[in-house]
Amino acid sequence: MAGAKTLDNLFKVDPPAAAKKVREMMYNIFFVEDHALHFYFLGGPDFVVGPTAPKGERNILGVLGKVGLEIGKEVIGLRKQMRDLMVSVMGKAIHPVFGLPGGISKPIKKDEQQKFIDAANHAVEFGEFTLKIFNDIVLKNEQYVETILSDAYTHKTYYMGLVDENNQLNFYDGKLRIVNPDGEEFAKFTGSEYVEHLSEHVEPWSYIKFLFLKNVGWNGFEDGKDSGVYAVAPLARLNVSDGMPTPKAHAAYEQYFETLGGKPVHQTLATHWARVIEMVYAAERFLELATDEETFSPDVRTIPTETPEKGVGVIEAPRGTLFHHYETDENGIITAANLLVATQNNAARIAMSVDKSARALIKDGKIDDGILNLVEMAFRAYDPCHGCATHSLPGQMPLAVRIYDSAHKLLRELKQN
Amino acid sequence: MLNESKILVLGLGNDLLADDAVGLLAVRELKKQQISDVEIVETAEHGMALLDYFIGFDSAILVDAIQTNSVPVGTIHEMDESDLSEVFAPSPHFSGLPEMIHIAREMQLDFPQRFKIFAIEVEDVLTLGGKISPKVRDAIARVQPKIARQIRLWKEDLS
Repeated sequence: MAGAKTLDNLFKVDPPAAAKKVREMMYNIFFVEDHALHFYFLGGPDFVVGPTAPKGERNILGVLGKVGLEIGKEVIGLRKQMRDLMVSVMGKAIHPVFGLPGGISKPIKKDEQQKFIDAANHAVEFGEFTLKIFNDIVLKNEQYVETILSDAYTHKTYYMGLVDENNQLNFYDGKLRIVNPDGEEFAKFTGSEYVEHLSEHVEPWSYIKFLFLKNVGWNGFEDGKDSGVYAVAPLARLNVSDGMPTPKAHAAYEQYFETLGGKPVHQTLATHWARVIEMVYAAERFLELATDEETFSPDVRTIPTETPEKGVGVIEAPRGTLFHHYETDENGIITAANLLVATQNNAARIAMSVDKSARALIKDGKIDDGILNLVEMAFRAYDPCHGCATHSLPGQMPLAVRIYDSAHKLLRELKQN
Repeated sequence: MLNESKILVLGLGNDLLADDAVGLLAVRELKKQQISDVEIVETAEHGMALLDYFIGFDSAILVDAIQTNSVPVGTIHEMDESDLSEVFAPSPHFSGLPEMIHIAREMQLDFPQRFKIFAIEVEDVLTLGGKISPKVRDAIARVQPKIARQIRLWKEDLS
């Protein structure tokens, strides 16, 4: 989707309203299924089963044991329904092939509208149900809430995310808004202006390029207003938004900030709650677009006529803000490309989260499986599969934990896999 | 006669990573044979994301790349479901398959009762944009009759 938006910008063409609506509807369908996957299957073992539950139970079967097989079937059924819609319109659920400069490859026929409306109603119902699950299993468990609120998982940084003209959340389009650690607006800009606001820092121990706020500067892996470290993704998106644009999600948003002590929320593990609220928003926005007659108009393409030069596109991916930047010759052949992917925005804060939680939880060099999992949870909140996010083959997480004493003497090393 | 599309042939891989494309290319070739009552699908997904593809099928054939480094490149490994837990260092696309089957059975999903896996020994799954190795390419033709035979056996079994 970021690629399609970049092509619009590159070819200086504005897609028809219907094309934009189809893209946004499909994108919200994708969010519903992806957030469901993350909450139930990838994050669920931590929260639904429990952070320190035996390793053998912290898996999908453990989640199903806790929520019940029928709910598990419902999750699988909903995801299949969403993915089938995605395949029917976009060609593929992952890496869709329907985006073209100036629109999409084919319209959705009017006689299919009811199928989309039915699926959207199902998604809204499922989102509300998931909020209830979160409330019953997580929020009513004092130990989980204590973990969420603990200082070990808290960082006071800047936050960035896309907002609409009312400064409310939008995944597909809008302006980027940055708030400071006190929640005050620090910057607001279009995707094309990203180079004026963001820069990259490198470290010898990682091949990730750590993004930071250029106009604050890189001052190390530090919290606070003087550090350019910032976060993206559900926690950040709710922090930068002045409310949610749909009613059920907005009510959940109000409860979220009321419970967590107002804006901004700095507790990393609250990301899971924010993700469920976003799932409700995605479902409601899907319903809005499915009931909009214009979404099913046949007018889905504006043919580009300009010579391409440079294009930038930005969207909110489930794990955070995603930028594509292409430059081409006059024939449209790419001569330069830069992608800033979601987890790069969060990379510095992820490193800080692992460091802080490890310092808080590992005492006297003593660790066990539960403590290790609590440290892993610090980065899993941002991105559940770091192996995939960093395109590490063979798809396993080569995690190593080295424990040093206060004199930096290596006491012990543990390796996963 | 078997019901429509109850046999799935799923090609797994990433066509941007040299030999990792072999599963996709093999099933793409198979499509040309226009075998009736069989659904042939290509995907770059893996792990739990594959669950959706299997729902509603009686039998499934997976075609993928594998790197055991213990046999010559281009060798075709044949595995059944019962072999999966014993496979050492399988390709990333196999990771999670035994767990997925276990979950599907536990949840009583409408899931294949029979699996057959054809995994082609490869040598390069890391070169971005790399070409497929000649010995791996040769295996694409050799795996076709094996897949066709398995489909025929299953059809005969149900007829």
